[in-house]
Amino acid sequence: MSQLYVVESADFLFLQKQLQITPGNLSSHLSKLEEAGYVEIVKEFIERKPHTALELTKKGRAAFREYQQSLKQVFNDLQH
Amino acid sequence: MKKPSLKEVEKKTYMSYHQDGLIDIFIGVYILMFGAGILLSTWADFAMWFILPAIFPAIMGPIWISAKKSITIPRIGYVKFGIRGGNKLMAVFIGLMVAALGVFMVFGLGASTDQGWALALRNLIIPNGMIIVGILAAAISSLFAYTVGLTRLYVYGLCTLGLLLAAHFTIIPFAYALVAIGLGIVGNGVVLLTRFIHNHPLAQGDQAIANKAF
Repeated sequence: MSQLYVVESADFLFLQKQLQITPGNLSSHLSKLEEAGYVEIVKEFIERKPHTALELTKKGRAAFREYQQSLKQVFNDLQH
Repeated sequence: MKKPSLKEVEKKTYMSYHQDGLIDIFIGVYILMFGAGILLSTWADFAMWFILPAIFPAIMGPIWISAKKSITIPRIGYVKFGIRGGNKLMAVFIGLMVAALGVFMVFGLGASTDQGWALALRNLIIPNGMIIVGILAAAISSLFAYTVGLTRLYVYGLCTLGLLLAAHFTIIPFAYALVAIGLGIVGNGVVLLTRFIHNHPLAQGDQAIANKAF
């Protein structure tokens, strides 16, 4: 989710290369995120070729921010 | 324990998109155009030499897009960066254009008058042209390196400054120094491009899996 949070959208191949995981593994993660309403999958044709773009929904961004805050809190607690 | 940083993720994502060396080849050829233009003006009395670097972005723009589409995107995928990064770059571009306009106005005014300050300015600039261009190149490349996070632009800026300083003190013509700098940057770009193609072979199946999966 952090990868999608820092960009507007990315395709499957880009995420797979960045995260260095197998297509099957990424596909299963994305399906779960899509079911939760965190990720939107946009299917489009670019120059007559099918293209799958992925982007975080508003709900997904909000959930990620919340997660980030709680993670920060954990790190701050560990430091003190 | 290191805190996870979104800025690091953003930087890594942005950098991965510019590890193909295309930006280096683009910058290098642009500098080469300046060098070639000045050489042409000397050898062939081509007074309109500045046309070469001026038309370069218009020619290279479509080539750049086409190269990204055919080399980079099939290998590492497509990403659309948000407007934040674009805004930062645009601010740098506008700032540089305003600064350049200011410099040209001062120089233009200095060239059109024979007042004391103008003569002093000319006496300062003409004999130290390469040092001034070197400092400007280092400053501009550092600004871009800082803005876009491409650290090798710092190296290009420093190398350009070093080479122009060396050229100034050894009386190497400015055009030759520019050609050497341009060739060096293009060479590095070609090495990066070759490495990129080697490290990211075309994986035909990946996009098909993505399209089937969803």
